[in-house]
Amino acid sequence: MKKIRILLVFVLPALSLLGVLAFAQGLDFSGHTGQPAGIDISGAWYPLAFQDSGLITASGALAEYGGIPLNEAGRLYALAWNPSRIQGRQHQCMGYVPPYTYNQPGNLRFWEERDPDTQRLVAIKQYWQIAEGTRTIWMDDRPHPPAYAQHTWAGFSTGKYEGNELTVYTTHLKRGWIRANGLPQSDEATLVEHFVRHGDRITYFSVVNDPVYLDEPFSRTYTLGRFVKEPDAWQYACDDGEQILGRSEDQVESYFWGRHPFVREFADKNRIPLLGTLGGPVTMYEDLLDRLTDSNAADAGAMAELTPSAGPLRASRAPDPTPHDGEIHVLPVQGNVFMLAGDGGNIAVQAGDQGAMVVNSGSGAIPDKIIAAVKKLSDKPIEFIVNTGFQSDFTGGNVKLRAAGYDPSVQGSFFSGQFVDAGKGATIIGHQNVENHLMALKTASEGWPSDTFVQARRRKFQNGEAVEIFHMPNAVTDADSIVHFRRSDVFVTGDIFNLVTYPHIDVKNGGSIQGELDALNFILDRTVYKHDEEDGTMIVPGHGRICDEWELAEYRDMLVIVRDRVQDLIRKGATLEQVEAAHITADYDTRFGATSGPWTTAMFVDAVYSSLKKPPARSGAK
Amino acid sequence: MRKRLGVLLAFATLIAYGQGGRGPQVPRTAKAAALYDITGYWVAVVTEDWRYRMVTPVKGDSAGVLLNPAGRKIFDAWDPAKDEAAGEQCRGYGAPAIMSVPGRLHITWQDDQTLKIETDNGQQTRLLHFDAAESNGSDWQGYSKASWEVVPAGRGAPPAGSLKVVTTRLRPGYIRKNGVPYSANTTVTEYLDRVNEPDGNAYLVVTTTVEDPGYLAQPFLAASHFRKQTDSAGWKPRPCTAR
Repeated sequence: MKKIRILLVFVLPALSLLGVLAFAQGLDFSGHTGQPAGIDISGAWYPLAFQDSGLITASGALAEYGGIPLNEAGRLYALAWNPSRIQGRQHQCMGYVPPYTYNQPGNLRFWEERDPDTQRLVAIKQYWQIAEGTRTIWMDDRPHPPAYAQHTWAGFSTGKYEGNELTVYTTHLKRGWIRANGLPQSDEATLVEHFVRHGDRITYFSVVNDPVYLDEPFSRTYTLGRFVKEPDAWQYACDDGEQILGRSEDQVESYFWGRHPFVREFADKNRIPLLGTLGGPVTMYEDLLDRLTDSNAADAGAMAELTPSAGPLRASRAPDPTPHDGEIHVLPVQGNVFMLAGDGGNIAVQAGDQGAMVVNSGSGAIPDKIIAAVKKLSDKPIEFIVNTGFQSDFTGGNVKLRAAGYDPSVQGSFFSGQFVDAGKGATIIGHQNVENHLMALKTASEGWPSDTFVQARRRKFQNGEAVEIFHMPNAVTDADSIVHFRRSDVFVTGDIFNLVTYPHIDVKNGGSIQGELDALNFILDRTVYKHDEEDGTMIVPGHGRICDEWELAEYRDMLVIVRDRVQDLIRKGATLEQVEAAHITADYDTRFGATSGPWTTAMFVDAVYSSLKKPPARSGAK
Repeated sequence: MRKRLGVLLAFATLIAYGQGGRGPQVPRTAKAAALYDITGYWVAVVTEDWRYRMVTPVKGDSAGVLLNPAGRKIFDAWDPAKDEAAGEQCRGYGAPAIMSVPGRLHITWQDDQTLKIETDNGQQTRLLHFDAAESNGSDWQGYSKASWEVVPAGRGAPPAGSLKVVTTRLRPGYIRKNGVPYSANTTVTEYLDRVNEPDGNAYLVVTTTVEDPGYLAQPFLAASHFRKQTDSAGWKPRPCTAR
């Protein structure tokens, strides 16, 4: 009884008093997770389309670039862009990249993901209706992935609270739009975003840094309104189809520079000097108006911006994502397939119950590290090595990898009686022309393919899946193959697809621009995206990061456009020197160009020109 | 019993003191209470609504602004020559529009309770009053009441928030230079936020809501932004123009 009296008389009033004091003095019971508190943007939102209302989704007129700090490459890319291009199969369901995602009329939703045990904020998720994009903003301080990892429409984002803002940093974006009238945002762009909440509105401020297509950071705002009631509209159905019957795979519509039929349409309609509508850093500032006062000079300046400038070619501003630290880096691709980067061309490893199948063997600089990396993926020895070509970047490690392997499928068979070394070491598979070239190059015979083929398709069943090896005649050489792991749904392209430079078309060894395009289209005829040009079939290029069909389609488009420009000049009787002087790759050089090294832009243009002037005989086995 | 209650009250008093109960405090000035520094020179980065801001839009183009019939009537009658003749070239430089006009800002504290925003383009001056100072208003910039709007922060975090400005008592003018009108009954609500970028740049982001029962069918909302300059480079005072 005495204890109850103590509770009633002393403890409860004391606790009540403490509660009152806590309330009155603002005692803070938040922050128990140890994370800084931040604004809450959870819920359903919609873009407020008061500003730039004419640019929502349809994204404005052709040659409406005012206020965008484009560099020459960005402007020329846009000036070549023909709206008919979006009727191409891979463009119809293209996704949206931020910040362009806020330029769409659909609904947006944010929600939090918290650790169920600690209640720490792990991520803020975002969904946008148009193109059905889902984004994860990691709030747990995790690092961004390596440069050779996949890029996506949403990119890889990390966030943190700063004062009354949510600040988000994004890398690993796909090539998308600044504005879907042809203004590109490259796959090298990085993004900083700030979300500031004012009651039922969010002010969104973003800054894009794009070394490929911009000369200055591109900053802009959007405003979002909060739904009072959850909207019942979140879907965006899209499935590609044949929109223009009979259009061939290597027909990519584009405008030739200086011959754009609508370049003045927007300027004239709105009575704006053309120079202003062509964009560039100067158009972001009021100082532009000084340049427009002399209309003749302004028009002359505009005309000069419609074609590539003279002067030296520009080199890529996109760093090679391949690590060059003397180590082999392993990245899971999909299913049973892994990518190994760090020694020349990319290597793919298929692991499973049987011995590993390795596609290409690197440059030979660090083969022991490749072997060690494969051992971590498979406890079986390397059984097969497939060479997609004879280039030293892909075959340099053949001898060592072969010696480290073992092919039990031939030992003990009747082959054993015919070949002393049957089953000793891995079996190297390659097109007959790979062996022919390696023999001509007098490389070590232990590294030559021991299992060659001459037909268009070589097939295997290894590690529980069908594997197809297709010969691609006259692509970058006469010896190229691609490998398709069918269950994993991964293509390994070798040098046919190079996400770092223009394709190394080796005309002397049977390469050609048309064969290259045929090879890329062959792959695109077999790829399937999972959702809106993302995921599904994955691709390991010869050089550069792993990707899906979008990047390969973009690469194909680029090469078609370059081919058509060279062909146009050839029809007009242009010499190689005149083609080179025309800077016909000016819109792509800041991404793929090189002015020095083993494969320069000039060498690429030379290869396109010469293989169009004199196409090679179709390559079979020599 | 009384002794125990006395101990309890003493304990509570101690807690209250520990939590900041240090007696009456002198109110801090707006300048001292500033959540961030927005003084200095800022240049407008015109990347939004470019064709409505960088150049005077063509007559009849009011995309993005929903006018009511009375507003539409005035909009359709826009004649810059008449504005010039009437000495009203500054109709497009009033508070609802001035933060979207291309050019530069110079922001200073006029005194501890008043922020001053000067523009080089149109040579306008806005005074943002944090105290109860009265003004007649009825000019292009009207009367602006300012406050630091603090959002609750976590334990130990520095205070954060926005500068909120509400402007009334305006002389009628244009939201856009091509005659999109606002009336004397307009209220402009602005949030000015400073954003710092990893590359060292700082931006002033201005979110503006224009509410006008006279001419707008619904509020007009837009945002603009300015990049911090290290000095007055590019500052070119020049008068308003009607075209």
